[in-house]
Amino acid sequence: MAKTVIIVDDSKAVVAMAELALGELIQSGVIEFKSYLNPLKLLDGLQSGSENFDLLISDINMPEMNGLDLAKAIKTSDKHKTKPIIILTTESSNEIKMAGKEIGVTGWMVKPFSDEKLVKSIKMVLGV
Amino acid sequence: MNTIKLLIVDDIEDNRLVLKAICRKLKNFEIKEAEDGFGAVEMAKEWHPDIILMDIMMPNMDGYEASKIIKAFHPNMVIIIVTAVSDPNMQKNMNAIGVDTYLHKPIDRELVLFKLESISTSLLIKKGKVKALSKKEALNPFNPDIRSFRTIFDIVDTEAMMDFGMWVFDQCAKKDVFACNRLDLIVELFYKLMRQEIKEGHKSSIIIEESYEEIYITMKLKSELILEPRMNDILEAFQSDFIVQKNIVCAKIKKYLESDVIETAEVIYEDKKHTQERLPLTEKTEEKNLKDVHTITKKDKELLRQSFTTKTTAAAYIIDIGGDIMDEILDLASVDEEWREKLSFFEEKPTDENLKNFAESVLWVYAQTINSLLEFTALSYALTSLGVFLKEKADIITQDATKAKTIAMLLENLGHDLVSWRKHIFELQDTQDIHYLDSSFFSSCMQIEGIINDKEISCGDEDEMEFF
Repeated sequence: MAKTVIIVDDSKAVVAMAELALGELIQSGVIEFKSYLNPLKLLDGLQSGSENFDLLISDINMPEMNGLDLAKAIKTSDKHKTKPIIILTTESSNEIKMAGKEIGVTGWMVKPFSDEKLVKSIKMVLGV
Repeated sequence: MNTIKLLIVDDIEDNRLVLKAICRKLKNFEIKEAEDGFGAVEMAKEWHPDIILMDIMMPNMDGYEASKIIKAFHPNMVIIIVTAVSDPNMQKNMNAIGVDTYLHKPIDRELVLFKLESISTSLLIKKGKVKALSKKEALNPFNPDIRSFRTIFDIVDTEAMMDFGMWVFDQCAKKDVFACNRLDLIVELFYKLMRQEIKEGHKSSIIIEESYEEIYITMKLKSELILEPRMNDILEAFQSDFIVQKNIVCAKIKKYLESDVIETAEVIYEDKKHTQERLPLTEKTEEKNLKDVHTITKKDKELLRQSFTTKTTAAAYIIDIGGDIMDEILDLASVDEEWREKLSFFEEKPTDENLKNFAESVLWVYAQTINSLLEFTALSYALTSLGVFLKEKADIITQDATKAKTIAMLLENLGHDLVSWRKHIFELQDTQDIHYLDSSFFSSCMQIEGIINDKEISCGDEDEMEFF
């Protein structure tokens, strides 16, 4: 069964490039790819139970909500707190990485991202 | 039933016989054999073994393919790879498909028994020895800042050794630590030390402590430390991840994956007899290879990583800018329409002229207007650079229909990002950080350039990808 990978990024360009990078995994049915431009909408979906995921990839700087706040909110949910979250951002300072680590995010990737590394990370985290 | 079903998979009969002879010592083990990967998959389906000892190099179907299929259908079956090769790529791939642990050839008879007993006991009884401490007092010499619990193993007999082995196995099974191949070596070293102590009739202890990032395994020995050559090899390979003092041996393990995590461990095996064996898997990985990498300039990197210590809200920012500039920004709504229109022309007719026309008109107007705000340096620089780049590479893009289509799609998405940016900052004025898009947009433009050039863009940072 395909694993659900959700990417949250206010940038449609980033979402489109991630989808291009993951093309092979999507087409072969290894993952189902979903995206949200607004993190609040994802939170609504997760809270109402209409949305679910196996791996979340999130940006940090978004107009409606900061990605680390999104991760924090998800980590308070019993249903989703153990699920992996990878941060995909241009931010790379140790301070902000430590903040992510304390919240419990699984990994950190910096933009611009390498297609190969994105695929590798997803495969590794999902064990596919 | 307390029986453990063990399947031995190897195409060479003598190897199966050797393993079978060793494993006969194990109580409550039922042992069967398979001659290749196909046989292993069949047996996994029909017989449901608990543990599989899997060779790699086999005819018809190799151990990697067989493990992949078995793990897909039976994720709880424990697969132990028996190999003479320590290839980092192979181990990474093996770990990715969920292989549980490794046994390295030439086979250490007692280590095989130790591992199998540890794993089987772990499968039958799941219990830990975690106890909370009221006061932190680190015993490991690496880090005094530890979490307020520790696990203690009193190594008084072989059962206690087994408990330690089970604990290590559980760390791998839970995927709490990614470096299972390192744990294999660490457990081997401590196994030898424990055996020495018990042989001398001493009661020693192993104390596990944790920080948020690392695990520390400390063994306090009662007798004088005697390092066998193999132990020296392991210590040498791990270097600073081991501290050996008078009667204390301590190992440090990172809880998260480092891209080079197995580099040190592989050193040990370089001089082993069978390094000439190369797996088809590795060759495939090497063949597939990967795009060229373009490392961005220092100047671009500084702009990309610029940080704004104080966040400016859209509402606060708008109060400070003049009415004329505000009008200019709001006029960009008409440029948005032009953006879509000119891209449609290009999609219908992907010619140099149509692409250059797009770059010279809409991209240029956007870049100039944003530049006049003096606040969004990365955004205006990204648009200007992208415009210049598209003009320069127009011929390359238009010669390749797929590339032209991809670029049109990505430019349309960039347009959407700018519309959204304008809306949040200048119309709704609802964002807490007016710079939320700057670096990300710049990064996207660089990545688009990479797609056109068939190159991966890299910032040259060692930590582009990090796991905690």
